[in-house]
Amino acid sequence: MGMSSNPPYPVGTVITGKWRGNRYVVERMLGKGANGTVYLVQREGRRERYALKVGNDTLELQSEINVLTSLQSCRKRSEYRARRESPLSSYLLESDDFKDGINEPFYVMRYVEGRPLHHFLARHGATWLGLVGLRVLEKLQKLHECGFVFGDLKPENVMVSDYGEAELIDYGGASPMGRSVKQFTEWHDRGFWNAGSRTGDESYDLFSFAVLCLRLLNEEGLKACAQQLPQTRNVDDLMRLARNLPDKKLSSWLCLALKGGFPGSAQAAAVWKQHIYGQRKPAKETVDTPRWLKNAFMLSLFVLAFTIYWVIRF
Amino acid sequence: MRQILLITDGCSNVGESPVMAAAHARQEGITVNVVGVVDYGTIGELGSREIADIAKAGGGLSRIVGTPQLAQTMQMMTRKTVVQTIQQAVNKEVKKILGEGSLEDLPPAKRSQVVTVVDELTETTPLRIALLIDASASMKPKLAAVEEAIRDLALSLEAREGRSEIAVFHFPGRSSSEEATLDMDWSSNVSEVRSLFSRLKMRGATPTGPAIFRVLEHYRYDKLDEHRERVDRAEHDEREGMIGGYVV
Repeated sequence: MGMSSNPPYPVGTVITGKWRGNRYVVERMLGKGANGTVYLVQREGRRERYALKVGNDTLELQSEINVLTSLQSCRKRSEYRARRESPLSSYLLESDDFKDGINEPFYVMRYVEGRPLHHFLARHGATWLGLVGLRVLEKLQKLHECGFVFGDLKPENVMVSDYGEAELIDYGGASPMGRSVKQFTEWHDRGFWNAGSRTGDESYDLFSFAVLCLRLLNEEGLKACAQQLPQTRNVDDLMRLARNLPDKKLSSWLCLALKGGFPGSAQAAAVWKQHIYGQRKPAKETVDTPRWLKNAFMLSLFVLAFTIYWVIRF
Repeated sequence: MRQILLITDGCSNVGESPVMAAAHARQEGITVNVVGVVDYGTIGELGSREIADIAKAGGGLSRIVGTPQLAQTMQMMTRKTVVQTIQQAVNKEVKKILGEGSLEDLPPAKRSQVVTVVDELTETTPLRIALLIDASASMKPKLAAVEEAIRDLALSLEAREGRSEIAVFHFPGRSSSEEATLDMDWSSNVSEVRSLFSRLKMRGATPTGPAIFRVLEHYRYDKLDEHRERVDRAEHDEREGMIGGYVV
C-alpha cells in the first residue's frame, strides 16, 4: 500500500543503486513530500551534492520519474536549439532502487539550495515578489510548453536562493495537460473555491499562483475566506482580497488570473513582467506618522513656547 | 470499475453482517472502502474493528477521520483504489508476459513503461462509485460535511478523462422494509449534488449489512440498462486483455 512512512535514514547512510551501482552518502534530510522523503546527498568520491528522493510507493514514484524524464527530454530539445545546455539545468540525474533493505526506489535530482518562498519573503521583504514571481511564472511557462501542469503550486514548493533565483520542487503533483490534477492543496485548488474544474490546464496553475500571492501578502484575509461554509465559499471573496492590496497593478493581474482570464502562462508572464516586475517603487517609503508622535510633537512645541515665554519673562 | 464507499460513525446493529455483505461485493468485483467519521470522542473499539473488517472483506481501504479531513480522505481512497485495482490487473499481465515478479522487481526502463500504462488506465477507465451514507441519528451533525465531501469527490471525478459516475444512498431507508434509500442515481454531473439530505428523517437503527446488499442489487439491476451494457463491455475488455492493446 505504501502508506507507511519509514523513519528517515541517519546521516552517513550509503544508498547504493541496485541497477546502476552508484553510491550516495546521506548528509541530512531535506524534507518530506507526498510520495517520499528527500535527502541531501553527496555522490561518493565526488564533490557535487544532490537531492535524492526515496519513495514509499514504487508506482507513485515511478509516475513522478516518468514526468521528470519527459520534461528532461523536452528541455533538452529546446536547449539543443538554444545551444546552452548546462548540467545544472537537468531535472533528473538518475533513478534506481536502494540495494539494501526493502528495495526502495529512489531518484537523484539537482540540489536547489535556498529556502521556501514564504520564508524567503518573510526574511527579505515583500518587495522581492515582483522578481521572484516573474521567475516562478517563467518556470511555469516552460513546464506548460512541454505539455505539463504543475498542479500543487504553493509557497512550500518554490525554493528561492539568497539571490532570488526560484525553482519549483516536488513534481509529484505534475500531470500531462488535460488530465485530472493528481495532488493539490485546498487553498490553492480552483475546485475548492468553486472557481472551476480540477482538469489540469494552464489556468489551473495560474489560479494557484494567484492564491499563492494572496497568501504571501494577506494570509489572515485568505484564512478568513477559506473558513466560510463550503456553499458560500467563492472566488469573489478572493477577488475582493486582491482588490484591497495596495499595489493596483498587482490587484488587477491577480483578479484576471483568478477569473481564468489569461489565455495562457506566456501572456500572464509577459503582463507580470511589464507591469509588476517592471515598476519600481520610489526608494523612500512614506509611512503614516503615528498619532502619538504628532501629539508628542505638539506637546513639545507647546513646552518650547512656554519655556521661551518663561525665559523672556524673567 | 466499481466501488462502494461506506461512510459511517459506528457499529451496525440490525440484519446481516456488513462484513459478509462486503465479501459478497468483492465476489461480484466491487471494491468496498469505508470511512469512519468521528468528530467528538472515539468510535470505540468495536466500531473501529468493524470498519477495518468491512474494508478487508471488501478488498478496499478504511480510515477513521474527523469531518475536516473527510473530503480529502474520500478522494485519496477512491484514487488509491482505482490505482490498486489496475495495478493488480497489470501485475498479473506483467507476470504472464515477462515471467517476472511484481512492479518492484522490474528494471527501471520496463517499470517506466508499465507505470505509463497504469497511469493511462487510472485516468481513462470507466468508474462507478456508490456512496452509502449512514444516516442514523448520531450522523446528523456531520451530514453537511458529508454532502460537501461528495460534491468535492464529484468534482474530482468530473476532471477524469474516463466516464465517472456516482450514486448516493443513505440508510436506514424511509420505512422499515427499505434497507437503504437511493438519493441520487448514477450521474456524472457535479451540480446534481445539492441538498441531498435536506428532507432526511433520522432513524435509530444502523442496518449496515442489509444496506450494502441493497447497493449490490442496484448494481445488478442496472446491468439491464443498455448503456450499462456498453460500459460493462468496455470493462470486460479491460479485464480480459487489459494490457494487450497498450503495451504489446
